[in-house]
Amino acid sequence: MQRRNFLRLGLGAVVLGLAPLSVMAKNYREELPEVWKIKNKSDKPDDLSGINEAIKAIFGTDKVEEGKIELYKTPDIAENGAVVPVNFKTEKASRIALLQNANPEALVAIWDIPELGIPDYGVRIKMAKTGTVVVVAEIDGKLYKASKLVKVTAGGCGG
Amino acid sequence: MRIKAKSKGDITEVKAVLKHPMLSYDQAKAKGKEPNFIVYINAKVDDKIVYEASTSQFLSKNPFIKFKFKGNHKGKEIVISWIDLKGNKKEGKAKIK
Repeated sequence: MQRRNFLRLGLGAVVLGLAPLSVMAKNYREELPEVWKIKNKSDKPDDLSGINEAIKAIFGTDKVEEGKIELYKTPDIAENGAVVPVNFKTEKASRIALLQNANPEALVAIWDIPELGIPDYGVRIKMAKTGTVVVVAEIDGKLYKASKLVKVTAGGCGG
Repeated sequence: MRIKAKSKGDITEVKAVLKHPMLSYDQAKAKGKEPNFIVYINAKVDDKIVYEASTSQFLSKNPFIKFKFKGNHKGKEIVISWIDLKGNKKEGKAKIK
């Protein structure tokens, strides 16, 4: 009898252990409403202070190493700041954020990488002037980044 | 919404153009309109999320997105959905080739 109770207890634990991890959608506009308002601090293309403030607000730290993520098909010179292609890839990541200092606010987008996701993504962004594009990936709990200066010859604010 | 999705080997690649003016705060002010832009995008196959992005006013007008995910899903349907700042929602579907 005692043994049976013990087995029953064990079975209960196994069932609990198998409870599915909820696959919840994550909307960072709702989760972190304040990070989208973080401003770039100056007009200088190499002033990353606004970007770094946003990184800290998103990931909880601004300790970021170079590497592991690569920016590609991102122009040195963008003739039209309204449509600047940005592509990046890394082997794996749990979250990726794209930021820049060519617009009033620093943050462009945050991706949560789902179980089936392959973090090789591309987007087209607006840049009102010359600035630095920064992509940050969270990999095994650490942050890695790649950045690139994009010279804009016609601004993206006219739309 | 224009969606092109293709499975090759064990990888599926998707390119999509979402139709939206993406009016930033500055652009809206200049035009005397209200700002509005897509704030959240996801893509699903078999009701499972394969791509998920939270976005800002700085994606280009009619945003283009490109992404990859694991698995060969030829013949299945991919569903891309977005929500904008005003709460409008849109869904687009395409068969994975």
